[in-house]
Amino acid sequence: MISLQHVTKTYKNGVTALEDVSVEIEKGEFVFVVGQSGSGKSTLIRLLMKEEEASKGSVYVAGKHLAKISTWKVPYLRRNIGTVFQDYKLLTDKTVFENVAFALEVIGKPKHVLDQRVPEILDYVGLGDKLNNFPDELSGGEQQRVSIARACVNRPLVLLADEPTGNLDPNTSVDIMRLLDKVNRIGTTVVMATHDQAIVDAMRKRVIELDKGHVIRDQSRGVYA
Amino acid sequence: MRRIDQYLKETASGLRRNGVVAFAAMSTAFIALFLFGLALIIAREFSLIITYTTGNVEVQVYLTDTISPSATTTLQQKLQDLPAVESAAYVSKEAACEQAQRLFADNQAFLDNLKNNCDILPASFRVKLKDPALFEQVKAAMACQDQLQAGATVQVCAEPGVLRVQDFSALLKQLNAITHVLQFGVLAIAFVMLGAAVALIANTLRMGMFARRKEIGIMRLVGATNWRIRIPFMIEGLVESLLGAGAAILALFLVKILVIDRLRDQIRFLPWVRNSDVLSIAPLILIAATLIALIAGSIGMRRFLDV
Repeated sequence: MISLQHVTKTYKNGVTALEDVSVEIEKGEFVFVVGQSGSGKSTLIRLLMKEEEASKGSVYVAGKHLAKISTWKVPYLRRNIGTVFQDYKLLTDKTVFENVAFALEVIGKPKHVLDQRVPEILDYVGLGDKLNNFPDELSGGEQQRVSIARACVNRPLVLLADEPTGNLDPNTSVDIMRLLDKVNRIGTTVVMATHDQAIVDAMRKRVIELDKGHVIRDQSRGVYA
Repeated sequence: MRRIDQYLKETASGLRRNGVVAFAAMSTAFIALFLFGLALIIAREFSLIITYTTGNVEVQVYLTDTISPSATTTLQQKLQDLPAVESAAYVSKEAACEQAQRLFADNQAFLDNLKNNCDILPASFRVKLKDPALFEQVKAAMACQDQLQAGATVQVCAEPGVLRVQDFSALLKQLNAITHVLQFGVLAIAFVMLGAAVALIANTLRMGMFARRKEIGIMRLVGATNWRIRIPFMIEGLVESLLGAGAAILALFLVKILVIDRLRDQIRFLPWVRNSDVLSIAPLILIAATLIALIAGSIGMRRFLDV
């Protein structure tokens, strides 16, 4: 599902964020990417969604060689990739329903699809009764659930999560992890960058550890350190 | 249908959010397009005046009294054979006399004087040219030259039977000069304003994109195409410039009614532009408005949407 082959990413200012990284992730896997700030976790995520281009090496996602996708086709790639961030990225002037529906609306899905899928996915993430609330009226954990619902509503093959629990307290983080696990169990490949040690240790999933742009550990059913 | 509905909703909310700036852009587009239209109307008016003046009197070839009828016919043939000449109509001494009597019908003293001396009016050819700029050809064919005699310029013609050739080059040159200066001046201002309109509309689009950068970020994240993101902004720019164009067309009709129609009442010997002339430049203004919006759109959104 995801393959990085000898990938190096050097930014324009000369900083090398990743160096000769090779990783294979199978369909349906759940993978933690751990490491300190600046170890290259976010760069890895950004490469996978083609926000950034690899300087050297090849990146494959969902069978596509990212460097060879023409610019106008990038949106179609992203329709297969759900993304979740630390800051939720919700639109405050839209309700929960509208926030999730927005993701389908802007890729041209008809209204009947919205009306069917949006309540369905919101029910799935446990917000079936908050459809008409605004993000400001929700807790952090609930807002992150909305953002996960938005990422999953188009049934992506891959879910990329960059520090999804970064702003949440431990108990809420556990709830979010349960939800991501649930998403993973229906076949979605999940890649999650985090430095939340407790969560990684509790989940016992595959762990890829980065340090200064190098993979220093790749362990199935691993712990944080 | 649903998609169009979405676009229009986004456009409307964009215009509302950007109210003041959108209004500034619209006003600039209005002024620019109004001046552009005004330049076209001025051009139209002067082309009417030139057609009128040069269409009625182009070149007049005055004949001596001694010319024989056969020489007159030969001369007419010679004029008509010139490539620059469309037609040459003979006006006899009698016809010239009648014409003078008609022209000065309300001047009894002049008429009395004329009655005894109508003989002094020469016969002539009224020559219509294919191109008014070619009158020199006629003068050359009649071998006429301007000579200085006793401090005054007198025309002397070598062609037998020809007294002098009167052309209207000076008038034409003046009319053309006025047309060009006015037209160039107004067009120059119009182009500066058109540039300003493009810049202001591009700026409103950019501000709109900045205000909605979070929304745009999410759209890109979930896989909306660039066109899906751009089109509401393009429509916004188009609405702004087309509203400006509509106002400009209305203002041009106002100018026509309030200024030109009043002049028409006072200066009756000149032709004036009509409603149909104003109407015929409306499509040009709409085309210009569309171009403004397209250029503004491509400038305003160029940097913002790199994937």
